[in-house]
Amino acid sequence: MPDNQRRVHNRLAVLRAERGLSRKQLADNLGINFQTIGYIERGDYNPSLELALTIARLFRLPVEAIFSLQPMTPLSDEIFREPPPAVG
Amino acid sequence: MFTTSGRLLDTGDIHVNTILKSQVEYLPRTRRRLLVAVALIGYPAAVAILAGLKHTSLNRWLILAVFLLLLLPTVATLFIGYRYARGRIDGRARLDERDLALRQQAYALSHRVLAAVLIAATAITEIYLTSANTLQFDANSFWPVTAWVIVYIPALPSLMLAWIETDQPAEA
Repeated sequence: MPDNQRRVHNRLAVLRAERGLSRKQLADNLGINFQTIGYIERGDYNPSLELALTIARLFRLPVEAIFSLQPMTPLSDEIFREPPPAVG
Repeated sequence: MFTTSGRLLDTGDIHVNTILKSQVEYLPRTRRRLLVAVALIGYPAAVAILAGLKHTSLNRWLILAVFLLLLLPTVATLFIGYRYARGRIDGRARLDERDLALRQQAYALSHRVLAAVLIAATAITEIYLTSANTLQFDANSFWPVTAWVIVYIPALPSLMLAWIETDQPAEA
């Protein structure tokens, strides 16, 4: 990734593991090379908007659930986070 | 060292599908960069040493043998560079968006390297002419330059791709 490019964080590895997909299988579904999946997971390559949206559609998730400009928090934290106490 | 991937071998009634990883594709970047450096420096170094040896009393065949021996690592590393980028620089392989972006970066870097070499060569020639006033351009100087142009200009994008790409992730 060029030095002047901002890193886009992602949950691709977690989502892929959850669904039991190898990089090759996911890449074949997306029509890209499996190395590209590895580079995205490692943060060495930021996918295009088109590829990000295609990945989101494949996982049936909103794109911001997979990609973020901020470091991703663990999914378990987000799922089981206690709601803020009710005021009043 | 080099292997074939996905080739079907017919061994009588048995078809053996040999999926063998190419070691060149998974070379770590530090080693790749070292090989690229050898490929880029090897030929000019061999020509410079040849020019130096010509003024000695050594046997001509011995000089030729030394020159060829020095040339060998350059040829080997150029081949590895070509093998590493095969299909991606010439566009014969199926390229996705990352490959296309990387190819563009490799061509841009090749252009910058070539421009730097031309500027350096012009500056050295200018300095030489200022001090010596004459520049003899005969077969002895023409052929090394021609060989450099013929070999390096087509090879530069492959070498630059090998230089810039980070370590390849595993298939798993």
